[in-house]
Amino acid sequence: MNGTTVSTADEYMPMAKEAGAISCVATVDHKRIGILYLVTTFFFFLVGGVEALVMRLQLAVPRNHLVGPGVFNQLFTMHGTTMIFLVVMPALIGFANYFVPLMIGARDMAFPRLNAMSYWLLLFGGLLLHFSVLAGGAPAAGWFSYTPLSESAYSSTQGPDYWILALLVMGVGTVAGAINMIVTILTLRAPGMTMRLVPLFVWMVFINSILIVLAMPALNASIVMLLIDRQLEAHFFTALQGGAPILWQHFFWTFGHPEVYIMVLPAFGMISEVVPVFSRKPIFGYGFVAGSTVAIALLSFGVWAHHMFAVGLGRASDLFFAASSMAIAVPTGIKIFNWVFTMWGGSIRFTTSLMFAVAFILQFVVGGLSGITFAVAPIDWQMTDTYYVVAHFHYVLFGGTLFAMMAGLYYWFPKMSGRILSEKIGKAQFWLMVIGFNGTFMVQHFLGIMGMPRRAFTYPDLPGWGALNMISTVGAFILGFSVLLLGCNIVWSLRRGTQAGDNPWNAWTLEWATSSPPPEENFERVPEIHGRRPLWDLAHPETARAPVKTDFCPEKNKTSMIVFIVSEGFFFLMLIFAYIYYNYTQKPGPDAASSLDARKTLLFTCSLLASSFTIWRSETAFKRRRHKPMVLWLIATIVLGAIFIIGQGSEYWGLLQRGITIRTNLFATTFFTLTGFHGLHVCIGLMLLTIVLVLMLLGDFKNFRPRALQIIGLYWHFVDAVWIVVFSIIYLKLLL
Amino acid sequence: MTTQQFLLSAWGWNPVVIGVCVAAVATYGFRYRRQNGYFLAAIVLFYLTLASPVGALANGYLFSAHMLQHLLLLLVVPALALLGLPELKKDSGVRVPPLAGWLGGLSAMWIWHERTLCNAATTTTSVRVIQIISLIALGLMFWWPVIGPQTERRLPPLLGVVYLFSSCVGCTILGILITFAPVGVVCPVYLHPVDRLGILPLLRENWGFTPAFDQQAGGLMMWVPACGIYISGVIALLARWYRAGETSVAAPEPEPVFPPPRTTRGNA
Repeated sequence: MNGTTVSTADEYMPMAKEAGAISCVATVDHKRIGILYLVTTFFFFLVGGVEALVMRLQLAVPRNHLVGPGVFNQLFTMHGTTMIFLVVMPALIGFANYFVPLMIGARDMAFPRLNAMSYWLLLFGGLLLHFSVLAGGAPAAGWFSYTPLSESAYSSTQGPDYWILALLVMGVGTVAGAINMIVTILTLRAPGMTMRLVPLFVWMVFINSILIVLAMPALNASIVMLLIDRQLEAHFFTALQGGAPILWQHFFWTFGHPEVYIMVLPAFGMISEVVPVFSRKPIFGYGFVAGSTVAIALLSFGVWAHHMFAVGLGRASDLFFAASSMAIAVPTGIKIFNWVFTMWGGSIRFTTSLMFAVAFILQFVVGGLSGITFAVAPIDWQMTDTYYVVAHFHYVLFGGTLFAMMAGLYYWFPKMSGRILSEKIGKAQFWLMVIGFNGTFMVQHFLGIMGMPRRAFTYPDLPGWGALNMISTVGAFILGFSVLLLGCNIVWSLRRGTQAGDNPWNAWTLEWATSSPPPEENFERVPEIHGRRPLWDLAHPETARAPVKTDFCPEKNKTSMIVFIVSEGFFFLMLIFAYIYYNYTQKPGPDAASSLDARKTLLFTCSLLASSFTIWRSETAFKRRRHKPMVLWLIATIVLGAIFIIGQGSEYWGLLQRGITIRTNLFATTFFTLTGFHGLHVCIGLMLLTIVLVLMLLGDFKNFRPRALQIIGLYWHFVDAVWIVVFSIIYLKLLL
Repeated sequence: MTTQQFLLSAWGWNPVVIGVCVAAVATYGFRYRRQNGYFLAAIVLFYLTLASPVGALANGYLFSAHMLQHLLLLLVVPALALLGLPELKKDSGVRVPPLAGWLGGLSAMWIWHERTLCNAATTTTSVRVIQIISLIALGLMFWWPVIGPQTERRLPPLLGVVYLFSSCVGCTILGILITFAPVGVVCPVYLHPVDRLGILPLLRENWGFTPAFDQQAGGLMMWVPACGIYISGVIALLARWYRAGETSVAAPEPEPVFPPPRTTRGNA
């Protein structure tokens, strides 16, 4: 697909111009990175799809022995992990990468090089995950890696370690991408495009990126703890030493439930672009669709325990989470009406894109309704870990998100390639996909109700089970064939497809105001923004409203650092929570009172707090354009920070001398993890400050233009603030 | 005692509470011409929180009832009272910095659930009075930057969303800790209530409020419905934002307020 984009002459990577063949590796253009994302996810989609087909073959008949239980466990683990982290999330990010800058009339993302980094972290994270197959076996503990199964006592291969490392690598990339997206949308909108006028896809991606920034740290923190358990023999989730395996479930679903919305909100955005264009009407209730998305995103952090009804959290928990889970269905459910009422009375053009969108609406309703049944705790107890669950989330993620992505692909492919995907092949693919998808998963509802457990490699020959499973397997192969047909359609249309022109669908958002594919710089001239449909307003100036002033446009470097700090804050929140949770009752072995010297710690704490003051003085000197005090205060900051690190090092040394290590007990595990990660952040801060200092001494700050000092100053204040919290939780009560 | 007898008999007629309520309503009635129902609702709710059976249960019997009272006094009563106030000019009245409001709202939750304070507020009347006053005052402080009467000084809507959501995170964490703490760690006084009204068997057996269930329900109340209150605030802010947006876009501006569009947009 790359051949169709304009050859690059990139301002960020001038070498890309000469390199030719290497240019698609060196590119920092958001459009080419978007396509890289989509091609990569399509490849992993095929990998995950083949894994699914092997599972379906194994389950086609009762008591089958095509693959054994061990391989089957690896298959479903890899299938789930691949589809979630390497297909659905990055494909949505890929679409966002390509279209968000175009839709807001920007030249590129806010940080093009960071954008490229996000992509490459994804690719290598994916390769790392699959490398586990060569390193003694893929992970086999399910995509949520429940402890204690994923602890080294029960998973002795390196599979879970690769799973953790791959997810960490991808997690860092995803958070970086989300920060980039937030800053892009906040700071690079075309003049006059207020946050209330952005296309719904952009709005959804914005909210989605906020969700990623808040939710991914929860995953990162939990898998870091699991990694410490596995590699350093710590006790976060090992019951034998007092750890709580249930805590893993809480931590995982703190991330896992928002993740469900991370995988579906951008799809809502695509549907909200496709449905109005092919119904020739503006979206019904823009404010509701946009506002309720915020509510859904925030509520999604408060309902995770409904994944754990079967754990036995207690009657009170079940009651509250049943209620809140039903509540979150309301704003989602009303969106269905928004889309239907958008179509109502419109002059509908049933293109392949709209057909996929309509199928999305219907199938998402099925998935949503089966989801609500799970909110009723007793039904959940009956249905959990059966094929009913499998059917439910495939209706949401495949019947929902993937169909929406198909709608988006058929809608936007002309913009990306300059050619329209064949409608004839497209409709054939649509019907095959609908039949294949529903054939595969509809029957699984019944299998689940009949009690067939998921994640079991085979099943007994009970009445009806064999037939229903065979239907499901046949459906899966039809589905696989439809995906091949999509590949053929893409290949054929890239060569022979109808030329698209700038705006083949007569759509109205900004991406259609430029050529297809867009030039390197995206726009020659961004049209004036009067409302939510700039191209419509351009064609109908008599109904266009007066333009408004851009509402809110913060500085991009500072914004990105603030968003990053929020994300880091959530990471520390998890570690702090683990410390409090494991230390509010007395446990055998060393604890804070018996092993820590709070007065000594207070000394180097003062040093760290003083460094916040000195860096503020340095910033003030920077603002007043006085070079010498700026340098001196910065040196003082570095010295004070170093004193803190030395103090912490001597504290660690003292503990280790007395035989207290991370594996001693839960206090030591949580103490070393929390303070260690803080120390790591101080070290990173010191490195950054030293780089700034060197740049200052080299004369880079002569004109007082670079903003690095202020940005890193923010980070430094954050590190200090975290320490104040850590100190008051661990040490303060020892002083009183 | 049966449930019905309890619900009918457990009403408090504390003259001080009644006096405060009457005084508040009277002051409001005399002071402001333009009135709405919100302020009256706030006072009625305030009275119900303290004097209804919920108040009786919170007074030493049930931690969950205490939590309900805590949330109503901190989050609902002050919000309704502020909504009842007429709009103020920018320069008149007090100014609450958002950070102070945020910290005030959150610290009220965290500090009053420290073990000694939580116990003292249940057993000692003077501490209890301080608690009630501080909850109302801190609640007013918390809501002031978001829905305070100085409309021009309110936080911009999107920052208001951040303000409310971050508070929701703060109270969620406390709620989770209370829910999963060992029974009686948070507020031990509710473990073995002095049965003044003779309703303990009713609560423990008929209603099923064992100490474990009671503490869990209390923690969950702070975790789930409390966030519901914040999220309702978020929804209200967004609704107001979108409504305001539509009118301001529709109103024709006297002259173009921004330079003509640039041809390309730099991003360095």
